[in-house]
Amino acid sequence: MTATDPTTAAAATASTAVLAARIGSFSFHGERTPALRDIDLSVRPGVLTAVLGGSGSGKTTLGKLLAGWHRPGQSGTFTGSLTLAGQPLEFRGLEDDPRINPSAWSTRVGYVPQDAAAMLSTVRSTVAEELAFGLENRGTPRRDMLRAVARAAEQTGLTALLDRDPATLSGGELRRLAMACAVVQDPWVLVLDEPLASLDAAGIIQVRDLINRLTGAGTGVVLLSQSADGLARSAGHWIILDGGTATASGIPRELIRSAELARTGTLLPAVTHAVPAVRGRAPEPEAAPVLELFGLGFGYPGTGDADGEPLLRDLELTVRPGEIVAITGPNGAGKSTLLRHLNGLLRPHTGEVRIQGRSIAGIPTGRIAASVGLLFQHPRDQLFERTVLREASFGLRRLHGRDAAARADEALEAVGLAGAARTHPAELPASQQRLLALATVLARGPAVLALDEPTVGLDRHGLDRLDRAVAAAAARGAAVVLVTHDAAYARATAHRVLALDGGSLREG
Amino acid sequence: MRMPYTLHPLTSLTAAGCTAVLTTAAGAWPLSLAVALAAVLLAVRAGAGQQVLVAASAVLLPLGLSLLMLHGLFFPEGRTVLAAWGPARVTAEGLAFAWESATRTGACVLVLLLFAFTVSTPDLVAALAGRGLPPQFGFVLASALTLLPAMAGRLERIRAAQEARGLVLRGGVLSRLAAVRLQMVPLVLGLIEDSGSRAEALDARGFGAPGPRTSYRQVADPPAQRRLRTTLLLITAAAVALRLVASWPAAGPA
Repeated sequence: MTATDPTTAAAATASTAVLAARIGSFSFHGERTPALRDIDLSVRPGVLTAVLGGSGSGKTTLGKLLAGWHRPGQSGTFTGSLTLAGQPLEFRGLEDDPRINPSAWSTRVGYVPQDAAAMLSTVRSTVAEELAFGLENRGTPRRDMLRAVARAAEQTGLTALLDRDPATLSGGELRRLAMACAVVQDPWVLVLDEPLASLDAAGIIQVRDLINRLTGAGTGVVLLSQSADGLARSAGHWIILDGGTATASGIPRELIRSAELARTGTLLPAVTHAVPAVRGRAPEPEAAPVLELFGLGFGYPGTGDADGEPLLRDLELTVRPGEIVAITGPNGAGKSTLLRHLNGLLRPHTGEVRIQGRSIAGIPTGRIAASVGLLFQHPRDQLFERTVLREASFGLRRLHGRDAAARADEALEAVGLAGAARTHPAELPASQQRLLALATVLARGPAVLALDEPTVGLDRHGLDRLDRAVAAAAARGAAVVLVTHDAAYARATAHRVLALDGGSLREG
Repeated sequence: MRMPYTLHPLTSLTAAGCTAVLTTAAGAWPLSLAVALAAVLLAVRAGAGQQVLVAASAVLLPLGLSLLMLHGLFFPEGRTVLAAWGPARVTAEGLAFAWESATRTGACVLVLLLFAFTVSTPDLVAALAGRGLPPQFGFVLASALTLLPAMAGRLERIRAAQEARGLVLRGGVLSRLAAVRLQMVPLVLGLIEDSGSRAEALDARGFGAPGPRTSYRQVADPPAQRRLRTTLLLITAAAVALRLVASWPAAGPA
């Protein structure tokens, strides 16, 4: 950290930095411990700055504070300063502190949240109009607006999608639209919260290209990430965040092997999956299968590919007790659709699903749930209760009777959430929400574990918990089917890796 | 689902509004019936026949029944008694009045539903914003129209999550109702929480900023349609004035 005299530091950075933040402390109203403290950050034009840290390290809070989404005074108490283009704003946590106008501030400092859909107005019927929403609100003349929309669309590769309904975009397209909504204001600084999360290889390339183009054009980009991946390694400057404070800052080469980075739970993709700790011994080949799919065929009404073929066709799969099978494939290949057949949330048009030798046709999903636990792709779709403990306990009494409470506690313990039993699930960071969703599956002790993109959003500590949980389930004889776009994770974890391609599975 | 011809949303709004007012002012059941039929025909032609009829019956059937109960059975001015049970008398005048009111209301409801189901919401919002209406109004209007599908989607996700954890849904109505109760709390809490996070995003996109707005979407408003709107409004005003003048002496003291 720059531990120099603040005035000299400010003078030094003001000449080069377009945005400089000196955070003494920032606390949300009603919270005693500050969410952020002792962070100095300066963003230079055309430079990618990466803020790295594990789940709950304060990255999102920092990003929102920089971008005026969390406003000093309104969202919490802030002491420190924000300097935009050499204009300092001093905050002392008092009534007469300066006020940030989010509308004006965001034209200079844009923020794209991790959940890209949260950026959209939801009331515009085309991508072009969604892009124009912010410009309309600021009274931009129509001719300038047309130009700005066309330029932002060109930069983000959305030109061909301008007339599409935003609700029909894929995950990668949606992320680029959210980025375009910020880019359209031509901001000096763009703060991106986990911009690569849950994107497939093609989506990652597009977003990385876009970031390169933005920095090339002089925009200062702040990357908030829990993975020291290729994008983070291409940054000019790193800040390591741990427990809401900056524990180190400098160039990537110096920090990549630092103790500070190792402590945070930041993922190091090159080494994270190097040790196949999970897999354990191979399953018994003679054991009776736990899960069998015979000639499975399914298509959503009114869809199908160019040839009108259904999404899944003649799909076969056999999984034995203790076996871990990974299924890979690009976005939209039907991976999640396939998993939803295992517990009967979707029913095949042709073929059959058998669990422990019995067909599940005609059995309600709620009953199949006793043998099949499904981890949904989006944890927020899985969580609906008021507290973490209630969430883990839902439906357990019927399954385990008096043991229900103990089972819930045990599952929370396994994912490291025992201390957060009374927290509202929505208040957990994304990584812990996924772990909680996993706990709800583990607590039921199902014979088949179906995990949809279980690694997305997990930091290293979270991945360790996931690995242990998967290993423990396989060791007690459960069949594990996991869907992932992370090929390295699939190879490191599974006994078999299958690719979903053209509606059926083949050896990957 | 659009009008088969390109009408500016304000033209169709004016046409629908004026037709409703004119039908009310005329107060003649053959006209009301003709207007109602025309509205249904136009809705069918625009491909919205089913939606308009379903929505209309949801409004009109209970209303028609209550009119029949109220005026058909208890109409103090009724002279021609067709049947009587104690205080309840079915009179020809009462039935005529109920029929008159029902056709009039039916015509108004059908015409307004025809408008609601055929207008392009984005066009309407853009047209209203272009006329200086507060953008918040347009946002609420558009949100209200997108809220139902959004709620249905969320309810579906909550149900799937609960089923995946052992909630057994049987076909029965009672079982479904019990499940809805389980899903309502998460639904409402989720919507509230969503609106909180959306507020930050909307603020950042200048939604709360004061000052004039512009509109990206442009809706063509040919001069002929503007003249048509003026004419319709003048005719309607004249009809209302005529109606007031015509009924004034009768309403006043003899």
